[in-house]
Amino acid sequence: MHILISVDQNPYSACAVDEAARLAENTLANVTLLGVGAGKNGKDETGGGAPKRGKDPNPLPDILRKYRESFLGRLGDETSPEASKEFLYEPVELNRGILEELRVGHSARKSLKTRMRPGNPVKAILAEAREDDSDLIILGCSKEKMCAWEGGMKVPEKVVNDAPCSVLVVKAEEEVSKMVCCLDQDKTTQESLEMINQMVTLHKADLEIVGITQGKGLKADVEKKMDSILRYYVERQINPCIKLVPLGSLESFISEEARRSLLALWMGEKSVLEKVFPRRKVNRLIQAAECSVLMLR
Amino acid sequence: MLKTLVYLNADLASSIALRYACQMSKIVEMRLETIHVEEPGVEEQSPGTGWVRQTWETALLKTGEEEIAQLIQAEKPLCPPLPATKMFLGNREEKILQELQKERYDLFLEGTLYSFTSSNFYEKIRSRLFRDASCPFIFVKNLMGLTRIALLFGRGMDHFSVASSFLRIFGKAEVDVDLLYYDFPRNGATPPMEKDAEETLSAARNLLSNQGRAWKECRVIQENPEAVGDLFKNYGLVVSSVQHVMNGRSPLTELLHRIPSPIFLARRERLQGQGR
Repeated sequence: MHILISVDQNPYSACAVDEAARLAENTLANVTLLGVGAGKNGKDETGGGAPKRGKDPNPLPDILRKYRESFLGRLGDETSPEASKEFLYEPVELNRGILEELRVGHSARKSLKTRMRPGNPVKAILAEAREDDSDLIILGCSKEKMCAWEGGMKVPEKVVNDAPCSVLVVKAEEEVSKMVCCLDQDKTTQESLEMINQMVTLHKADLEIVGITQGKGLKADVEKKMDSILRYYVERQINPCIKLVPLGSLESFISEEARRSLLALWMGEKSVLEKVFPRRKVNRLIQAAECSVLMLR
Repeated sequence: MLKTLVYLNADLASSIALRYACQMSKIVEMRLETIHVEEPGVEEQSPGTGWVRQTWETALLKTGEEEIAQLIQAEKPLCPPLPATKMFLGNREEKILQELQKERYDLFLEGTLYSFTSSNFYEKIRSRLFRDASCPFIFVKNLMGLTRIALLFGRGMDHFSVASSFLRIFGKAEVDVDLLYYDFPRNGATPPMEKDAEETLSAARNLLSNQGRAWKECRVIQENPEAVGDLFKNYGLVVSSVQHVMNGRSPLTELLHRIPSPIFLARRERLQGQGR
Protein backbone atom coordinates (compact mmCIF):
# COMPACT_ATOMS: atom_id res chain seq x y z
CA MET A 1 0.00 0.00 0.00
CA HIS A 2 1.21 3.50 -0.81
CA ILE A 3 -0.06 6.42 1.24
CA LEU A 4 0.36 10.03 0.19
CA ILE A 5 0.02 12.52 3.05
CA SER A 6 -0.57 16.02 1.72
CA VAL A 7 0.24 18.82 4.13
CA ASP A 8 0.53 22.56 4.29
CA GLN A 9 1.58 24.77 7.16
CA ASN A 10 -1.77 24.76 8.98
CA PRO A 11 -2.70 22.83 12.14
CA TYR A 12 -5.28 20.63 10.38
CA SER A 13 -2.39 18.97 8.52
CA ALA A 14 -1.03 17.70 11.83
CA CYS A 15 -4.25 15.69 12.28
CA ALA A 16 -3.76 14.17 8.82
CA VAL A 17 -0.18 13.18 9.66
CA ASP A 18 -1.33 11.61 12.91
CA GLU A 19 -4.09 9.62 11.20
CA ALA A 20 -1.69 8.51 8.45
CA ALA A 21 0.86 7.32 11.00
CA ARG A 22 -1.76 5.17 12.71
CA LEU A 23 -2.77 3.66 9.41
CA ALA A 24 0.82 3.18 8.24
CA GLU A 25 1.67 1.46 11.50
CA ASN A 26 -1.03 -1.12 10.88
CA THR A 27 -0.42 -1.63 7.18
CA LEU A 28 3.38 -1.17 6.94
CA ALA A 29 2.69 1.10 4.00
CA ASN A 30 5.10 3.07 1.86
CA VAL A 31 4.51 6.69 2.73
CA THR A 32 5.16 9.98 0.93
CA LEU A 33 4.86 13.13 2.96
CA LEU A 34 4.14 15.88 0.46
CA GLY A 35 4.38 19.53 1.36
CA VAL A 36 2.31 21.82 -0.86
CA GLY A 37 1.24 25.40 -0.90
CA ALA A 38 4.44 27.44 -0.80
CA GLY A 39 6.47 28.58 -3.79
CA LYS A 40 10.18 28.13 -4.37
CA ASN A 41 10.97 31.51 -2.90
CA GLY A 42 8.67 31.42 0.01
CA LYS A 43 5.68 32.69 -1.94
CA ASP A 44 2.54 31.33 -0.38
CA GLU A 45 0.62 29.63 -3.19
CA THR A 46 -2.51 29.15 -1.15
CA GLY A 47 -3.14 32.87 -1.10
CA GLY A 48 -2.44 33.25 2.58
CA GLY A 49 -0.78 36.65 2.19
CA ALA A 50 2.11 38.16 0.28
CA PRO A 51 5.62 37.08 1.30
CA LYS A 52 8.04 39.60 2.75
CA ARG A 53 10.98 39.81 0.42
CA GLY A 54 14.10 38.20 1.83
CA LYS A 55 12.67 37.85 5.33
CA ASP A 56 10.12 35.10 4.83
CA PRO A 57 11.85 31.95 3.72
CA ASN A 58 9.77 29.02 2.62
CA PRO A 59 8.30 27.59 5.85
CA LEU A 60 7.56 24.19 4.33
CA PRO A 61 10.95 22.50 4.85
CA ASP A 62 10.79 23.19 8.57
CA ILE A 63 7.18 22.12 8.77
CA LEU A 64 7.86 18.95 6.82
CA ARG A 65 10.73 18.10 9.15
CA LYS A 66 8.41 18.59 12.09
CA TYR A 67 5.69 16.40 10.57
CA ARG A 68 8.29 13.78 9.65
CA GLU A 69 9.47 13.62 13.25
CA SER A 70 5.92 13.51 14.51
CA PHE A 71 5.11 10.69 12.04
CA LEU A 72 8.15 8.65 13.06
CA GLY A 73 7.56 9.35 16.74
CA ARG A 74 4.05 8.01 16.42
CA LEU A 75 5.33 4.79 14.82
CA GLY A 76 7.97 4.05 17.41
CA ASP A 77 11.26 2.31 16.69
CA GLU A 78 9.89 -1.08 15.79
CA THR A 79 7.65 0.05 12.97
CA SER A 80 9.66 3.03 11.83
CA PRO A 81 10.86 2.95 8.22
CA GLU A 82 14.15 4.20 9.58
CA ALA A 83 14.61 1.25 11.91
CA SER A 84 18.08 -0.25 11.67
CA LYS A 85 18.62 -2.67 8.85
CA GLU A 86 19.91 -6.18 9.07
CA PHE A 87 22.80 -6.98 6.67
CA LEU A 88 23.10 -10.52 5.30
CA TYR A 89 25.22 -12.16 2.58
CA GLU A 90 23.17 -13.42 -0.31
CA PRO A 91 23.71 -14.27 -3.99
CA VAL A 92 22.81 -11.41 -6.31
CA GLU A 93 22.70 -11.76 -10.10
CA LEU A 94 25.05 -9.12 -11.53
CA ASN A 95 25.13 -10.33 -15.13
CA ARG A 96 23.07 -12.99 -16.80
CA GLY A 97 24.03 -16.27 -15.16
CA ILE A 98 26.68 -14.73 -12.92
CA LEU A 99 25.91 -14.50 -9.26
CA GLU A 100 27.95 -12.75 -6.67
CA GLU A 101 27.53 -13.02 -2.94
CA LEU A 102 26.95 -9.55 -1.64
CA ARG A 103 26.13 -8.04 1.71
CA VAL A 104 22.55 -6.86 1.38
CA GLY A 105 20.68 -4.69 3.85
CA HIS A 106 17.16 -5.83 4.68
CA SER A 107 14.38 -4.01 6.40
CA ALA A 108 10.86 -5.18 6.92
CA ARG A 109 9.89 -1.54 7.00
CA LYS A 110 8.71 0.37 4.00
CA SER A 111 9.91 3.72 2.75
CA LEU A 112 9.10 7.21 3.93
CA LYS A 113 9.74 9.96 1.39
CA THR A 114 9.46 13.65 2.13
CA ARG A 115 8.77 15.88 -0.83
CA MET A 116 7.73 19.42 -1.68
CA ARG A 117 5.86 20.54 -4.75
CA PRO A 118 5.46 24.23 -5.25
CA GLY A 119 2.54 25.65 -7.17
CA ASN A 120 -1.15 24.97 -7.09
CA PRO A 121 -1.75 22.50 -4.21
CA VAL A 122 -4.50 20.55 -5.97
CA LYS A 123 -2.44 20.01 -9.11
CA ALA A 124 0.60 19.16 -7.00
CA ILE A 125 -1.26 16.53 -4.96
CA LEU A 126 -2.92 14.95 -7.98
CA ALA A 127 0.35 14.86 -9.93
CA GLU A 128 2.19 13.27 -7.04
CA ALA A 129 -0.56 10.68 -6.56
CA ARG A 130 -0.41 9.71 -10.23
CA GLU A 131 3.37 9.64 -10.50
CA ASP A 132 3.80 7.79 -7.23
CA ASP A 133 0.93 5.40 -7.93
CA SER A 134 -0.65 6.17 -4.55
CA ASP A 135 -3.42 3.99 -3.16
CA LEU A 136 -4.61 6.53 -0.64
CA ILE A 137 -4.30 10.30 -0.27
CA ILE A 138 -4.70 11.62 3.26
CA LEU A 139 -5.23 15.32 3.88
CA GLY A 140 -6.69 17.34 6.69
CA CYS A 141 -8.99 20.30 6.90
CA SER A 142 -10.67 22.46 9.45
CA LYS A 143 -14.33 22.09 10.38
CA GLU A 144 -14.62 25.78 11.07
CA LYS A 145 -13.78 26.89 7.54
CA MET A 146 -16.10 24.48 5.69
CA CYS A 147 -13.07 22.32 5.02
CA ALA A 148 -11.32 24.97 2.94
CA TRP A 149 -7.56 25.32 3.10
CA GLU A 150 -5.69 28.50 3.81
CA GLY A 151 -6.93 31.34 1.63
CA GLY A 152 -10.30 29.66 1.05
CA MET A 153 -8.97 27.15 -1.49
CA LYS A 154 -11.21 24.10 -1.69
CA VAL A 155 -8.29 21.70 -1.86
CA PRO A 156 -9.93 18.66 -0.19
CA GLU A 157 -13.06 18.87 -2.35
CA LYS A 158 -11.09 19.14 -5.56
CA VAL A 159 -8.72 16.35 -4.62
CA VAL A 160 -11.63 14.08 -3.65
CA ASN A 161 -13.34 14.71 -6.97
CA ASP A 162 -10.34 14.26 -9.25
CA ALA A 163 -8.04 11.84 -7.46
CA PRO A 164 -7.17 8.58 -9.22
CA CYS A 165 -7.27 6.72 -5.88
CA SER A 166 -9.02 6.70 -2.51
CA VAL A 167 -8.95 9.88 -0.44
CA LEU A 168 -9.30 10.30 3.32
CA VAL A 169 -10.23 13.80 4.45
CA VAL A 170 -9.37 14.06 8.15
CA LYS A 171 -11.66 16.51 9.85
CA ALA A 172 -10.55 16.61 13.42
CA GLU A 173 -8.70 14.85 16.15
CA GLU A 174 -11.95 13.54 17.59
CA GLU A 175 -12.00 9.82 18.22
CA VAL A 176 -14.01 7.88 15.67
CA SER A 177 -16.47 5.52 17.33
CA LYS A 178 -18.42 4.40 14.27
CA MET A 179 -17.60 3.96 10.61
CA VAL A 180 -20.47 3.87 8.14
CA CYS A 181 -19.68 2.40 4.73
CA CYS A 182 -21.85 2.91 1.68
CA LEU A 183 -20.38 0.40 -0.70
CA ASP A 184 -21.35 -0.56 -4.18
CA GLN A 185 -21.62 -4.24 -3.41
CA ASP A 186 -21.07 -5.25 -7.02
CA LYS A 187 -17.82 -3.43 -7.54
CA THR A 188 -16.18 -2.76 -4.19
CA THR A 189 -12.62 -4.04 -4.28
CA GLN A 190 -10.78 -6.26 -1.83
CA GLU A 191 -8.37 -3.36 -1.18
CA SER A 192 -11.27 -1.16 -0.11
CA LEU A 193 -12.59 -3.79 2.26
CA GLU A 194 -9.13 -4.15 3.73
CA MET A 195 -8.76 -0.39 4.10
CA ILE A 196 -12.06 -0.27 5.99
CA ASN A 197 -10.85 -3.16 8.13
CA GLN A 198 -7.70 -1.19 9.00
CA MET A 199 -9.59 1.99 9.82
CA VAL A 200 -12.09 0.18 12.03
CA THR A 201 -9.34 -1.74 13.80
CA LEU A 202 -7.11 1.21 14.52
CA HIS A 203 -9.98 3.32 15.85
CA LYS A 204 -11.62 0.38 17.63
CA ALA A 205 -14.78 1.66 15.96
CA ASP A 206 -18.08 -0.03 15.19
CA LEU A 207 -18.68 -0.82 11.56
CA GLU A 208 -21.97 -0.30 9.77
CA ILE A 209 -22.36 -1.51 6.21
CA VAL A 210 -25.11 0.10 4.20
CA GLY A 211 -27.12 -1.83 1.65
CA ILE A 212 -28.86 0.48 -0.80
CA THR A 213 -32.32 -0.75 -1.66
CA GLN A 214 -34.38 0.03 -4.70
CA GLY A 215 -38.00 -0.99 -4.45
CA LYS A 216 -38.89 -3.66 -1.92
CA GLY A 217 -35.46 -4.79 -0.82
CA LEU A 218 -31.96 -5.74 -1.87
CA LYS A 219 -31.37 -7.45 -5.19
CA ALA A 220 -30.47 -11.13 -4.89
CA ASP A 221 -26.92 -10.65 -6.21
CA VAL A 222 -26.35 -7.67 -3.90
CA GLU A 223 -27.57 -9.77 -0.95
CA LYS A 224 -25.03 -12.47 -1.82
CA LYS A 225 -22.23 -9.95 -2.02
CA MET A 226 -23.29 -8.36 1.27
CA ASP A 227 -23.33 -11.78 2.88
CA SER A 228 -19.78 -12.40 1.72
CA ILE A 229 -18.69 -8.95 3.00
CA LEU A 230 -20.32 -9.76 6.34
CA ARG A 231 -18.50 -13.08 6.53
CA TYR A 232 -15.22 -11.41 5.52
CA TYR A 233 -15.43 -9.06 8.51
CA VAL A 234 -16.77 -11.64 10.97
CA GLU A 235 -13.73 -13.82 10.16
CA ARG A 236 -11.59 -10.85 11.15
CA GLN A 237 -13.39 -10.54 14.49
CA ILE A 238 -15.27 -7.46 13.35
CA ASN A 239 -19.02 -7.74 13.76
CA PRO A 240 -20.49 -5.22 11.37
CA CYS A 241 -24.06 -4.01 11.49
CA ILE A 242 -25.99 -4.11 8.26
CA LYS A 243 -28.39 -1.29 7.56
CA LEU A 244 -30.72 -0.95 4.61
CA VAL A 245 -31.19 2.49 3.14
CA PRO A 246 -33.62 3.14 0.28
CA LEU A 247 -31.96 4.95 -2.59
CA GLY A 248 -34.39 7.85 -2.18
CA SER A 249 -33.37 8.35 1.47
CA LEU A 250 -29.65 8.02 0.88
CA GLU A 251 -28.90 11.73 0.96
CA SER A 252 -30.73 12.35 4.24
CA PHE A 253 -29.12 9.23 5.71
CA ILE A 254 -25.64 10.41 4.73
CA SER A 255 -26.18 13.90 6.09
CA GLU A 256 -27.50 12.44 9.37
CA GLU A 257 -24.55 10.06 9.72
CA ALA A 258 -21.99 12.72 8.71
CA ARG A 259 -22.68 14.39 12.03
CA ARG A 260 -21.42 11.49 14.12
CA SER A 261 -19.63 8.84 12.03
CA LEU A 262 -16.66 8.43 9.77
CA LEU A 263 -18.25 7.97 6.38
CA ALA A 264 -16.76 5.77 3.70
CA LEU A 265 -18.31 6.01 0.26
CA TRP A 266 -17.42 3.81 -2.69
CA MET A 267 -17.11 6.20 -5.62
CA GLY A 268 -15.48 3.93 -8.16
CA GLU A 269 -16.31 4.14 -11.83
CA LYS A 270 -19.90 3.29 -12.72
CA SER A 271 -20.83 2.91 -9.07
CA VAL A 272 -24.44 3.53 -8.02
CA LEU A 273 -23.21 6.13 -5.55
CA GLU A 274 -21.45 8.09 -8.24
CA LYS A 275 -24.76 8.37 -10.04
CA VAL A 276 -26.86 9.42 -7.05
CA PHE A 277 -24.14 11.42 -5.36
CA PRO A 278 -22.78 13.85 -7.93
CA ARG A 279 -19.90 16.28 -7.36
CA ARG A 280 -21.95 19.05 -5.79
CA LYS A 281 -23.33 16.65 -3.18
CA VAL A 282 -19.88 15.26 -2.50
CA ASN A 283 -18.60 18.81 -2.06
CA ARG A 284 -21.43 19.61 0.32
CA LEU A 285 -20.66 16.48 2.31
CA ILE A 286 -16.95 17.32 2.56
CA GLN A 287 -17.83 20.83 3.71
CA ALA A 288 -20.50 19.92 6.23
CA ALA A 289 -19.35 16.59 7.70
CA GLU A 290 -18.41 16.75 11.36
CA CYS A 291 -16.22 13.67 11.07
CA SER A 292 -13.67 12.45 8.58
CA VAL A 293 -14.74 11.22 5.15
CA LEU A 294 -13.18 8.37 3.17
CA MET A 295 -13.86 8.24 -0.56
CA LEU A 296 -13.00 4.81 -1.86
CA ARG A 297 -12.02 4.06 -5.43
CA MET B 1 -36.62 -27.87 26.44
CA LEU B 2 -37.77 -24.74 24.63
CA LYS B 3 -39.18 -25.19 21.16
CA THR B 4 -38.00 -22.51 18.77
CA LEU B 5 -39.12 -21.99 15.21
CA VAL B 6 -36.93 -20.05 12.77
CA TYR B 7 -38.37 -18.76 9.52
CA LEU B 8 -36.02 -19.21 6.57
CA ASN B 9 -35.98 -17.72 3.14
CA ALA B 10 -33.09 -17.86 0.71
CA ASP B 11 -31.86 -14.40 1.71
CA LEU B 12 -29.39 -12.49 3.86
CA ALA B 13 -31.89 -11.75 6.64
CA SER B 14 -32.59 -15.47 7.11
CA SER B 15 -28.92 -16.33 6.98
CA ILE B 16 -28.29 -13.87 9.83
CA ALA B 17 -31.34 -15.10 11.75
CA LEU B 18 -30.21 -18.71 11.52
CA ARG B 19 -26.69 -17.85 12.66
CA TYR B 20 -28.14 -15.90 15.57
CA ALA B 21 -30.50 -18.75 16.53
CA CYS B 22 -27.61 -21.22 16.47
CA GLN B 23 -25.54 -18.90 18.64
CA MET B 24 -28.48 -18.59 21.02
CA SER B 25 -28.84 -22.35 21.26
CA LYS B 26 -25.39 -22.43 22.84
CA ILE B 27 -26.55 -20.47 25.88
CA VAL B 28 -30.20 -21.53 26.05
CA GLU B 29 -31.32 -25.12 26.04
CA MET B 30 -33.59 -25.20 23.01
CA ARG B 31 -34.67 -27.31 20.09
CA LEU B 32 -34.36 -25.40 16.84
CA GLU B 33 -36.73 -26.08 14.00
CA THR B 34 -36.90 -24.27 10.69
CA ILE B 35 -39.78 -23.45 8.41
CA HIS B 36 -40.08 -22.10 4.88
CA VAL B 37 -43.21 -21.12 3.00
CA GLU B 38 -43.07 -20.93 -0.76
CA GLU B 39 -45.45 -18.21 -1.85
CA PRO B 40 -46.47 -18.47 -5.50
CA GLY B 41 -46.34 -15.10 -7.22
CA VAL B 42 -49.29 -13.75 -9.20
CA GLU B 43 -47.77 -15.10 -12.41
CA GLU B 44 -47.19 -18.47 -10.78
CA GLN B 45 -50.79 -19.30 -9.93
CA SER B 46 -51.67 -22.98 -10.13
CA PRO B 47 -52.00 -24.10 -13.74
CA GLY B 48 -54.84 -26.53 -13.07
CA THR B 49 -56.20 -29.23 -10.79
CA GLY B 50 -55.42 -32.85 -9.91
CA TRP B 51 -52.01 -34.22 -10.85
CA VAL B 52 -51.15 -31.12 -12.89
CA ARG B 53 -51.54 -28.98 -9.81
CA GLN B 54 -49.71 -31.50 -7.65
CA THR B 55 -46.74 -31.65 -10.05
CA TRP B 56 -46.60 -27.86 -10.18
CA GLU B 57 -46.67 -27.63 -6.36
CA THR B 58 -43.98 -30.28 -5.99
CA ALA B 59 -41.72 -28.44 -8.45
CA LEU B 60 -42.19 -25.13 -6.61
CA LEU B 61 -41.42 -26.72 -3.23
CA LYS B 62 -38.41 -28.54 -4.66
CA THR B 63 -36.85 -25.24 -5.79
CA GLY B 64 -37.44 -23.68 -2.37
CA GLU B 65 -36.11 -26.78 -0.64
CA GLU B 66 -32.84 -26.65 -2.57
CA GLU B 67 -32.31 -22.97 -1.76
CA ILE B 68 -32.98 -23.49 1.95
CA ALA B 69 -30.72 -26.56 2.01
CA GLN B 70 -27.90 -24.39 0.60
CA LEU B 71 -28.50 -21.75 3.25
CA ILE B 72 -28.45 -24.32 6.06
CA GLN B 73 -25.35 -25.96 4.61
CA ALA B 74 -23.52 -22.61 4.76
CA GLU B 75 -24.32 -22.26 8.47
CA LYS B 76 -23.72 -25.91 9.34
CA PRO B 77 -20.35 -25.43 11.08
CA LEU B 78 -21.94 -22.97 13.53
CA CYS B 79 -25.21 -24.80 14.17
CA PRO B 80 -26.39 -27.84 16.10
CA PRO B 81 -27.89 -30.65 13.98
CA LEU B 82 -31.18 -29.34 12.63
CA PRO B 83 -34.24 -31.39 11.71
CA ALA B 84 -35.46 -31.11 8.12
CA THR B 85 -37.00 -27.75 7.29
CA LYS B 86 -40.78 -27.76 7.29
CA MET B 87 -41.81 -26.76 3.78
CA PHE B 88 -45.21 -25.30 2.92
CA LEU B 89 -46.81 -23.78 -0.11
CA GLY B 90 -49.28 -20.94 0.24
CA ASN B 91 -49.76 -17.80 2.29
CA ARG B 92 -46.66 -17.25 4.44
CA GLU B 93 -48.35 -15.72 7.49
CA GLU B 94 -51.19 -18.21 7.50
CA LYS B 95 -48.90 -21.25 7.29
CA ILE B 96 -46.53 -20.00 10.00
CA LEU B 97 -49.46 -19.20 12.30
CA GLN B 98 -50.89 -22.68 11.79
CA GLU B 99 -47.52 -24.23 12.58
CA LEU B 100 -46.99 -22.07 15.68
CA GLN B 101 -50.43 -23.01 17.00
CA LYS B 102 -50.20 -26.68 16.12
CA GLU B 103 -46.78 -27.33 17.60
CA ARG B 104 -47.01 -24.82 20.49
CA TYR B 105 -43.62 -23.22 20.01
CA ASP B 106 -42.10 -21.16 22.81
CA LEU B 107 -40.34 -18.72 20.52
CA PHE B 108 -40.35 -17.58 16.90
CA LEU B 109 -37.35 -16.01 15.16
CA GLU B 110 -37.31 -14.15 11.90
CA GLY B 111 -34.62 -12.12 10.10
CA THR B 112 -35.59 -8.50 9.50
CA LEU B 113 -32.70 -6.40 8.29
CA TYR B 114 -32.09 -3.16 10.15
CA SER B 115 -33.36 -0.28 8.07
CA PHE B 116 -33.05 3.49 7.95
CA THR B 117 -36.75 3.77 7.19
CA SER B 118 -39.34 2.43 9.60
CA SER B 119 -42.00 1.07 7.24
CA ASN B 120 -40.71 -2.50 7.29
CA PHE B 121 -40.56 -2.66 11.08
CA TYR B 122 -44.09 -1.27 11.48
CA GLU B 123 -45.32 -3.66 8.80
CA LYS B 124 -43.94 -6.53 10.86
CA ILE B 125 -45.48 -5.50 14.17
CA ARG B 126 -48.84 -4.75 12.56
CA SER B 127 -48.92 -8.02 10.63
CA ARG B 128 -51.52 -10.66 11.27
CA LEU B 129 -48.74 -13.13 12.02
CA PHE B 130 -47.39 -11.01 14.85
CA ARG B 131 -50.80 -9.97 16.19
CA ASP B 132 -52.29 -13.48 16.26
CA ALA B 133 -49.32 -15.57 17.35
CA SER B 134 -49.17 -16.57 20.98
CA CYS B 135 -45.43 -16.93 21.49
CA PRO B 136 -42.82 -14.16 21.70
CA PHE B 137 -41.01 -13.09 18.53
CA ILE B 138 -37.39 -12.20 17.95
CA PHE B 139 -36.80 -9.95 14.96
CA VAL B 140 -33.13 -10.50 14.15
CA LYS B 141 -31.83 -7.30 12.61
CA ASN B 142 -28.13 -7.98 12.93
CA LEU B 143 -25.78 -10.65 14.13
CA MET B 144 -24.76 -9.58 17.63
CA GLY B 145 -22.85 -11.45 20.33
CA LEU B 146 -25.28 -12.63 23.01
CA THR B 147 -23.43 -11.58 26.14
CA ARG B 148 -25.57 -8.67 27.26
CA ILE B 149 -29.34 -8.27 27.19
CA ALA B 150 -31.45 -5.16 27.86
CA LEU B 151 -34.96 -5.34 29.24
CA LEU B 152 -36.56 -2.19 27.87
CA PHE B 153 -39.69 -0.94 29.62
CA GLY B 154 -41.89 2.01 28.83
CA ARG B 155 -44.98 3.84 29.92
CA GLY B 156 -48.14 1.72 29.89
CA MET B 157 -46.18 -1.44 29.16
CA ASP B 158 -46.99 -4.71 30.88
CA HIS B 159 -43.66 -5.02 32.65
CA PHE B 160 -44.57 -8.38 34.16
CA SER B 161 -44.88 -9.96 30.70
CA VAL B 162 -41.56 -8.55 29.55
CA ALA B 163 -39.65 -9.71 32.62
CA SER B 164 -41.32 -13.10 32.84
CA SER B 165 -40.90 -13.81 29.09
CA PHE B 166 -37.23 -13.01 29.45
CA LEU B 167 -36.93 -15.24 32.51
CA ARG B 168 -38.70 -18.14 30.84
CA ILE B 169 -36.32 -18.12 27.87
CA PHE B 170 -33.08 -16.81 29.37
CA GLY B 171 -33.62 -17.65 33.06
CA LYS B 172 -30.52 -19.84 33.25
CA ALA B 173 -28.45 -18.26 30.49
CA GLU B 174 -25.12 -16.72 31.39
CA VAL B 175 -25.68 -13.20 30.13
CA ASP B 176 -25.48 -9.75 31.70
CA VAL B 177 -28.82 -8.04 32.11
CA ASP B 178 -29.62 -4.32 32.17
CA LEU B 179 -33.01 -2.88 33.16
CA LEU B 180 -33.95 0.22 31.21
CA TYR B 181 -37.01 2.44 31.22
CA TYR B 182 -37.61 4.62 28.19
CA ASP B 183 -39.86 7.60 27.85
CA PHE B 184 -39.60 10.59 25.60
CA PRO B 185 -41.99 13.52 25.89
CA ARG B 186 -44.12 14.15 22.83
CA ASN B 187 -44.33 17.74 21.62
CA GLY B 188 -41.72 18.79 24.15
CA ALA B 189 -44.00 18.23 27.17
CA THR B 190 -42.39 16.83 30.29
CA PRO B 191 -44.34 13.78 31.35
CA PRO B 192 -44.89 12.90 34.99
CA MET B 193 -43.12 9.58 34.47
CA GLU B 194 -40.74 9.37 37.43
CA LYS B 195 -43.23 7.43 39.55
CA ASP B 196 -44.08 4.95 36.79
CA ALA B 197 -40.42 4.42 35.94
CA GLU B 198 -39.53 3.87 39.57
CA GLU B 199 -42.38 1.41 40.13
CA THR B 200 -41.72 -0.49 36.89
CA LEU B 201 -38.00 -0.86 37.46
CA SER B 202 -38.56 -1.84 41.09
CA ALA B 203 -41.10 -4.52 40.08
CA ALA B 204 -38.72 -5.83 37.41
CA ARG B 205 -35.87 -6.00 39.91
CA ASN B 206 -38.10 -7.97 42.27
CA LEU B 207 -39.11 -10.42 39.56
CA LEU B 208 -35.49 -11.01 38.61
CA SER B 209 -34.38 -11.30 42.23
CA ASN B 210 -37.07 -13.89 42.92
CA GLN B 211 -35.58 -16.00 40.15
CA GLY B 212 -32.06 -15.50 41.46
CA ARG B 213 -31.00 -13.28 38.59
CA ALA B 214 -28.82 -10.25 39.03
CA TRP B 215 -28.79 -7.14 36.84
CA LYS B 216 -25.90 -4.86 36.00
CA GLU B 217 -27.46 -1.52 35.23
CA CYS B 218 -30.86 -0.04 36.03
CA ARG B 219 -31.69 3.37 34.59
CA VAL B 220 -34.14 5.68 32.87
CA ILE B 221 -33.51 6.95 29.33
CA GLN B 222 -35.23 10.15 28.29
CA GLU B 223 -33.82 11.13 24.94
CA ASN B 224 -34.93 11.44 21.38
CA PRO B 225 -35.14 7.97 19.68
CA GLU B 226 -32.76 9.16 16.96
CA ALA B 227 -30.14 9.99 19.53
CA VAL B 228 -30.30 6.79 21.57
CA GLY B 229 -30.83 4.01 19.03
CA ASP B 230 -27.10 3.54 18.60
CA LEU B 231 -26.57 3.25 22.37
CA PHE B 232 -28.15 -0.19 22.18
CA LYS B 233 -25.62 -1.58 19.71
CA ASN B 234 -23.72 -3.39 22.45
CA TYR B 235 -26.74 -5.45 23.41
CA GLY B 236 -27.08 -8.89 21.89
CA LEU B 237 -30.83 -8.65 22.45
CA VAL B 238 -33.34 -6.02 23.55
CA VAL B 239 -36.43 -7.46 25.26
CA SER B 240 -39.55 -5.31 25.18
CA SER B 241 -43.23 -5.27 24.23
CA VAL B 242 -45.38 -3.34 21.79
CA GLN B 243 -48.76 -4.83 22.60
CA HIS B 244 -49.91 -1.65 24.34
CA VAL B 245 -49.10 0.48 21.26
CA MET B 246 -49.61 -2.06 18.52
CA ASN B 247 -51.76 0.14 16.33
CA GLY B 248 -49.95 3.37 16.71
CA ARG B 249 -46.52 4.89 16.59
CA SER B 250 -44.94 5.87 19.84
CA PRO B 251 -41.49 7.06 20.88
CA LEU B 252 -40.89 3.51 22.15
CA THR B 253 -41.74 1.81 18.84
CA GLU B 254 -39.69 4.45 17.06
CA LEU B 255 -36.79 3.59 19.35
CA LEU B 256 -37.27 -0.15 18.76
CA HIS B 257 -37.07 0.50 15.02
CA ARG B 258 -33.83 2.45 15.50
CA ILE B 259 -32.11 -0.20 17.61
CA PRO B 260 -29.67 -2.21 15.45
CA SER B 261 -29.75 -5.26 17.77
CA PRO B 262 -32.23 -8.13 17.61
CA ILE B 263 -35.55 -7.27 19.28
CA PHE B 264 -37.48 -9.72 21.46
CA LEU B 265 -41.15 -8.78 21.67
CA ALA B 266 -42.95 -10.36 24.59
CA ARG B 267 -46.59 -11.44 24.82
CA ARG B 268 -49.04 -10.66 27.57
CA GLU B 269 -48.72 -13.29 30.29
CA ARG B 270 -50.82 -14.26 33.28
CA LEU B 271 -49.65 -12.91 36.60
CA GLN B 272 -49.65 -16.31 38.31
CA GLY B 273 -46.78 -18.62 37.53
CA GLN B 274 -43.99 -18.21 35.04
CA GLY B 275 -44.86 -21.04 32.65
CA ARG B 276 -47.72 -21.36 30.19
